[in-house]
Amino acid sequence: MKRNLFALISLLALTSMLLAACGPAATEAPAATEEPAPTEAPATEAPAATEAPATEAPSDFAGDKVESPDCDYGGEFKSIEAVDQYTVKFSLCYPDPAFLSKVAFAAFSIQDADYLNETGGDSATLSEAPNGTGPYKVAEWVRGDHITFEANPDFWGEAPTIDTLIFRWSSEASARLLELQSGTADGIFLPSEDDYETIEGDPSLALYPYETGNIFYIGMANTIPPFDNDQVRQAVAMAINKQQIVDNFYPAGSAVAEQFVPPSFSPGFSTEGDGATWYEYDPEAVKALLAEAGFPDGFDVNLSYRDVVRVYLPNVNQVAQEIQAQLAEIGINVTINKMESGPFLESAAAGNEALYLLGWGMDYPDATNFYDFHFASNAMRFGNEWPDLVDEIKAAAQLGDPAERQVHYDNVNALIKEHVPMIPVAHGTTANAMKAEVGNVVMGPLNENFEQMTTDSGQLVWVQSAEPINLYCGDETDGETLRACEQIYDSLLGYEFGGVAPVPALAESWEPNADATEWTFTLRQGVTFHNGATFDANDVVATYAGLWDASNPNHKGNTGVFEYFTGFFSQFLNAPPEATPTP
Amino acid sequence: MSQFLIRRLILLLPVIFGITFVTFALARILPGDPCYAILGEKATPEQCNAFREREGLNDPILVQFGRYLGDITRGNFGESLKDSRPVTQIMLERLPMTLEVTLGAMLFSTTFGILLGIISAVRRNTAVDVGTMLGANIGVSMPVFWLGLMLAYVFAIMLKETPFWIPPSGRLSSGLSIPPLAETYNLQNLSGLWGAIVTFASNTVTFNALITGNFEVLRDALWHLILPCVAVGTIPLSIIARMTRSSLLEVLGLDYIRTARAKGLIERAVIFKHAMRNAMLPIVTIIGLSFGGLLSGAVLTETVFALPGVGTQLVSAIFSRDYSVVQAFTVVIALIFVFVNLIVDLSYVFLDPRIRL
Repeated sequence: MKRNLFALISLLALTSMLLAACGPAATEAPAATEEPAPTEAPATEAPAATEAPATEAPSDFAGDKVESPDCDYGGEFKSIEAVDQYTVKFSLCYPDPAFLSKVAFAAFSIQDADYLNETGGDSATLSEAPNGTGPYKVAEWVRGDHITFEANPDFWGEAPTIDTLIFRWSSEASARLLELQSGTADGIFLPSEDDYETIEGDPSLALYPYETGNIFYIGMANTIPPFDNDQVRQAVAMAINKQQIVDNFYPAGSAVAEQFVPPSFSPGFSTEGDGATWYEYDPEAVKALLAEAGFPDGFDVNLSYRDVVRVYLPNVNQVAQEIQAQLAEIGINVTINKMESGPFLESAAAGNEALYLLGWGMDYPDATNFYDFHFASNAMRFGNEWPDLVDEIKAAAQLGDPAERQVHYDNVNALIKEHVPMIPVAHGTTANAMKAEVGNVVMGPLNENFEQMTTDSGQLVWVQSAEPINLYCGDETDGETLRACEQIYDSLLGYEFGGVAPVPALAESWEPNADATEWTFTLRQGVTFHNGATFDANDVVATYAGLWDASNPNHKGNTGVFEYFTGFFSQFLNAPPEATPTP
Repeated sequence: MSQFLIRRLILLLPVIFGITFVTFALARILPGDPCYAILGEKATPEQCNAFREREGLNDPILVQFGRYLGDITRGNFGESLKDSRPVTQIMLERLPMTLEVTLGAMLFSTTFGILLGIISAVRRNTAVDVGTMLGANIGVSMPVFWLGLMLAYVFAIMLKETPFWIPPSGRLSSGLSIPPLAETYNLQNLSGLWGAIVTFASNTVTFNALITGNFEVLRDALWHLILPCVAVGTIPLSIIARMTRSSLLEVLGLDYIRTARAKGLIERAVIFKHAMRNAMLPIVTIIGLSFGGLLSGAVLTETVFALPGVGTQLVSAIFSRDYSVVQAFTVVIALIFVFVNLIVDLSYVFLDPRIRL
């Protein structure tokens, strides 16, 4: 018996060693060093970044510049140049009227060039001692438990009214509410919709609802019968009682969607014209339309969705059942098809789902973030794209003047109503809760004004739903992480508290050229980083170079994907050749 | 005894291999893609492919498993897919909290469980016995998360602004913290195993506060441990109480107890010196098994009380398909469970000299 046992153990040990020896990554450096070296970028296929002192710079300041020789690489940036110590110019490969909204985003917060070079752009290292220009410094990060921020005495803006800001986290909404009710927290993120009544009924608490800039829609693929028939899509559009869905399954303050973009998006939302309002709910007209389309007895169809709660769809299963019931009334027999999130998203994006439930929450507050991605990106999520719709969307994206853009967006909304690629159903709202004694609270879709709030003690404890992943946000997409970064860093611009308009931050003013392909920012003077370094135009160039240029030594981050950068500005400069998965 | 120990330690090898294999396989069987879980739902197929390539997730499963085995044989649990930090470092941050709650809950459940079991057995069929066992039955029937929320509701909300208020969550009150031991004792240069031990001890807040004499933090840390320990310890307490009662009643009916009483020994000596020693064997077994239950219960308790332990990290890692963290944490929890049972086996020798291992 003992002999057998030892033989078994020896065999296992040998197998382990053999497998270990065969493992290709066994001797590799940590993942972070596995990034392709700058020299690995094929020189013949990708333009090389050139850095040279700007010619207009004063003698005591050597302005940096990073540029692409041409725009063939597929990205938005042509060059970024420190014109002088406090002036930065972005040259773009194509007009981008949403540029200001994009550069205000927290993922593009400005780093100190020297510090960035010292840390090599590594998220983990930058997180150990974050160095920003924002209203707060990190005093302590006890992993898993809390982050303590202390007011930055050298902050360029108004001195924070909250001296000590503490972020804690709990994934459970009930646990967050418990913290608020027990007095251990001053504010919580996203209480459960079921608890709104409790919060509003407690005089010591206050609920702060806000819009988040989102849309819940019912998608249809025009390549899959019977949705290849325009009349069928129009009939389904008239068969959905959106008001009933919003009344029954959305929190107060949510709105029935008339268009694909929320009403606060201007330019984008039409206040007049054919696209200003959606089809009226009219079951009788639907039956006639279906008969005309050749489906007098209706048809069978799968309704696909993922069981994931989002602000735009807080009660997904109930809404799916409601839509199933509403369509049954006009003879459409719906089979509910609940899918895993990843496969569902891939399948819907590939145009494989005939009828599905999905939504969108804004990344940046501009209509291009809604229209371009969904209807003019060569994607198949609604089947084949409509050329007239694509033309109007692209025309709107080429203009800097809001009024001129709105003319095109009025056409876009009318065309969406005509073609019915999807049915806009609802714009969901959400809320945060605070102790009633916390003063001057402003909550919005893009930020919270912690530094302007007031408490008796000067300390504010905020409980969010998750721990920040790290404190360098260039390569992060997680909202809880970005919120922490917003306290530490500043971008060129910021967003107004409670709204979506870009406002000055590290840049005091800006000037586009006529066709919105050049943006010149005048930077704020006298700003210092937390480590005492002075902020200047080269910090902006270095920060963006690290994000944009894949061959830059600081292009490292956390996952190395820099999803927001490519999502907002298309392609990297010197992008490595695309990896092909092992079959 | 030493042969038994060596045999059990050697047997650990296939156990570890089995746990590693099963965990590795289960992590990959889980539906969902780490790409979308980590990069977000708006990640494009190209971004996902770049991510999978970078993390080696495009390699065949066997290659990935071989690489993983190779790494852990060198004590390297890899890096978290989510934040690129070494898993060992995350473990050193999270494990102390879980062990503090687990040990606190064990102390609570064992002390009160044995005490209530003895009272119940000695006062058999009285109102005290019925009341105690009714309480034990209720205790064993209550889900941990429900009990946790109820305790928090009563002590943190209903008793708010009274001296009986107890914080519902967190490790320390906001604004309180304790410096790392490495900083206190100038041990920043330590690395490797010793560095890990110091970090572990440092992150065990009660231990850190005790040895550095920071009694304000110690009091606060213990105060924060009350509700989680009671919540997670109630079920084992009930089981231990019932087991103590039945085991003690069985022993109290034996001849040697009657002899002891006939010799004129006082009842306390009969119970504690003679009866309890024999009654302890099944109780110790139950305590050992409960320890494993407490570790797995940490997932619920830590979520309810927002504690930075293994449980909350594991849940977060499972949701984000952070394979390396899920695997490492599961293996370590399983190993702790195995070692605790080994200690239970060894304790039999001391409790009953007739047992030879």
